[in-house]
Amino acid sequence: MPLRRWSILLWSLALAANAASLYMVFSYAPVEVQMGAVQKIFYYHVPSAIVCYVLLFLAFLFSALYLWREEALYDHLAHSAAEVGWVFITLVLVTGPIWGHSAWGKWWVWEPRLTSFLILWLTYSAYFLLRLFSRGDARAAKIAAVVAIVAFFDVPIVHKAISWWGSIVHPRKVVLEPAMRWTFFVGLVAVFLLAAALYLTRFGIQRAEAARVEREEWP
Amino acid sequence: MRFLKVVAIVFLKDFQEELRRKEDVAASSLFALLSLVLFAFALDPTRVDLNETGSGLLWLVVLFAGSLFMGGSFRKETENGTLFALLLSPCDRGALYVGKFLLNFVFLLALEALLLLFAFLLLDFRVLNGLSALALVWVLVTFGYAAVGTLFSALLAQVRGGHVIFPILLFPILVPLVIAAATLTEQALSPGFSWGNQWLRLVGLFDILFFTASVFLFEFAVEE
Repeated sequence: MPLRRWSILLWSLALAANAASLYMVFSYAPVEVQMGAVQKIFYYHVPSAIVCYVLLFLAFLFSALYLWREEALYDHLAHSAAEVGWVFITLVLVTGPIWGHSAWGKWWVWEPRLTSFLILWLTYSAYFLLRLFSRGDARAAKIAAVVAIVAFFDVPIVHKAISWWGSIVHPRKVVLEPAMRWTFFVGLVAVFLLAAALYLTRFGIQRAEAARVEREEWP
Repeated sequence: MRFLKVVAIVFLKDFQEELRRKEDVAASSLFALLSLVLFAFALDPTRVDLNETGSGLLWLVVLFAGSLFMGGSFRKETENGTLFALLLSPCDRGALYVGKFLLNFVFLLALEALLLLFAFLLLDFRVLNGLSALALVWVLVTFGYAAVGTLFSALLAQVRGGHVIFPILLFPILVPLVIAAATLTEQALSPGFSWGNQWLRLVGLFDILFFTASVFLFEFAVEE
């Protein structure tokens, strides 16, 4: 089973990278002067945001491919990407306010980038609601694909609108000293590997479920 | 030419049906008026000046009442079993979408006119300060709203519980439009409204992008 072997390989790599990343975050990277230890959440917050954009792009890409080719494989790939992407949006939304609480003194500030992640979270939550309601409906995959495409087009517009609307901004350019930069890169690799492992596992489950349904329908 | 003919036929058929049945038109207009009254109670207009906070609230009313109306635009066809016939007819499916879209667009505009009239009468909303700018803004925003709403209505018509999911799926997508609508309405009613406004450009982009995408995606997504 090549998928299983890939899965084992990816999970071991992800575990090793995350162990290295956690070690570097807590022992190697220096404590930031202004924000203190809370700044360390940055090493997981920012990579999660980057990874979730990549996954949502994959969900868009495979949705478009599914509409075009109508092969179930693309639907499974799109669905899994959206699901794992949603997990990382949630991570961004959890880690953001922890940082925000120490930086701004409040758990939630209507800050543009964080707010657009909230909208993103709501959009993709609705996508899963649709999947939930239309379980076992053969048409559902196509409908979900259209929603994923529309949602993806909406992302930059939402971001633009919210950044005009809000006034407080994220630091545009962060200057990192070398030890911090290395920690950040290792963190990025660790989060990417974790996402890839999750994605592969989710895809495997998705495929197995589809195969089971098929067996039940055509015994 | 044939495309436009199909658009006109679908539009006129639905228009006539709505006028005869009156159910959805009546329900959503009453719902809009009711929400306006409830907002007035929630905010107490004797103490709060609704000209400062009201434009966003008016748009919420449009969103809720509009989704009530648009959610049904394809479900009626499914319930009557006529969606099948519509899709079987030898015509461009994009034209079906545009016809349905046009009805939703026209109806929403009528609903908004009614709503603004009541806001003017009941809440002293100073509509007359910039009527032409206001009209332009509301027409542009409504266009985008109807474009996405009609597409989602078509998608969800055949899904179990589609009427429940419809607003939940639609509203997050409309967030940029809502922010723009609230800001632009406020600006339209105050002096110094500029036509080259960045928000107007954003709404224009939203309209063009989602209208073309919807015409295109509709053909792929709606099946017999």
